[in-house]
Amino acid sequence: MARESLLVATLVELADNLVDNYDVIDILTLLSDRCVETVDVAAAGVMLALPGGDLQFVASSNESMRVLELFQIQANEGPCVDCYADGVPIINHELLDPDERWPRFTPLAIEQGFRSVHCLPMRLRGRTIGALNLFRTDVGLLTPEDVVVAQGLADVATIAILQHQLSMSAQLLNNQLSFALNSRIIIEQAKGMISQSTNCSMDEAFARLRTHARNHNLRLTDVATSIVGGQIGISTLDAPRGTATT
Amino acid sequence: MFSDRLLSIFEMMAARERSGTERGLLCAVATEITGVSAAAIALCADDLPLTRFCASDAMARSLMDLEMTVGEGPCSESLGGDVMVNQVDLESTSSARWIFYTPQALALGARATFAFPVRIGVIRLGVLCLYSETPGELSDEQMTDALLMASVVGRGIVALQAGARPESLSQELQNEATFDFSVHQAAGMVAVQAAISISNALIALRMHAFSTTRSLSNVAARVINRTLRFDFTRQEWIEETQ
Repeated sequence: MARESLLVATLVELADNLVDNYDVIDILTLLSDRCVETVDVAAAGVMLALPGGDLQFVASSNESMRVLELFQIQANEGPCVDCYADGVPIINHELLDPDERWPRFTPLAIEQGFRSVHCLPMRLRGRTIGALNLFRTDVGLLTPEDVVVAQGLADVATIAILQHQLSMSAQLLNNQLSFALNSRIIIEQAKGMISQSTNCSMDEAFARLRTHARNHNLRLTDVATSIVGGQIGISTLDAPRGTATT
Repeated sequence: MFSDRLLSIFEMMAARERSGTERGLLCAVATEITGVSAAAIALCADDLPLTRFCASDAMARSLMDLEMTVGEGPCSESLGGDVMVNQVDLESTSSARWIFYTPQALALGARATFAFPVRIGVIRLGVLCLYSETPGELSDEQMTDALLMASVVGRGIVALQAGARPESLSQELQNEATFDFSVHQAAGMVAVQAAISISNALIALRMHAFSTTRSLSNVAARVINRTLRFDFTRQEWIEETQ
């Protein structure tokens, strides 16, 4: 039994470390490769936003210096910059020289043999964290199905990155989560007590809690805690708004 | 190889995010990746009682509810010892330690149950519980997936809460969860009715649920809609007939 617990503890540790330290570049490279395999494109790569908002190249299906250059130049201008800034996809953009929109990016891409470029935002619940960039060697259009598949891969990449970023601030966030959960439970308990004592609905009970907290410049959680602990009598709570105090 | 499994988990999450499906994405993915019958996740914050975060289906919800009622079972044991729990057959004598949980869990359709601590490093967040309608161990692959999933769940929960104000649960977390706070409202009401502390009121609710073989949330709902109350003078539960 003792040996089994030890084994189990080690296994849990292992899985944790794995998720803590998984190689995000490895996963994103895998995804870029998958793009090239499943979508009709010649090269794919991922660019992520740095805290200041600048884009940084992180992974590509093609590690040749010339292709990497195409991503690097996009720290300043190019489809990824626009796609990230606007949060909307750029699909089937034909590369033509000269190009006023991307004067440095476009000639370089054409020189590498690319004819069209596509870019999909990496978004999750309203938050954009980067962009997935696709290149084609001919002008033909990406089919709507291709776009759906590519966006799907971009979504997976987004989750992989968000999961990875979290380990750093986990302790702080967990303390906050415990506190918030605890606050919420105490507020519900106080609502129940008020509702029973004054024969009102849960909504009205909450309104009384909030009115009292605001009137006395107290935090909602503190008022609820005092009610549950008996330091504030329910009969001494301020009357809800719109009701005459008796 | 592990990267591949992780990627599969992320792919399932992305697919469900995209289709904008129901709440409980993490429970649904835990079920899908491990191929068990059902899954549920509970949170434990410091000294809080077991709080259901989500459940993949009605059976998982009832099983988690049962555990909150009787105060024992795979999740409680996993949380208590910070260990993994493998109960490969609830009909075997090895599950006799849960004398209240086991017979009712079997009645609800569970035959095997597995609990994995949800942690980030040394921080404990909760527990991921898997339920199977058939007896038997998890395969090595299922075990790996479950362990990875437990880690992903921890990060998922923390991610959802990120950015919320210190005292409140984020809207994202609440949208994702099927929290049931009614038990705490009911405890507040019973504390006043019986003139007892909140923690004793919680115990009273659980005992009543257990002795009447109702779920804790059912008892709580009836307290809140005032069809059930604890009479202080008679010191007993009264069903109000309306």
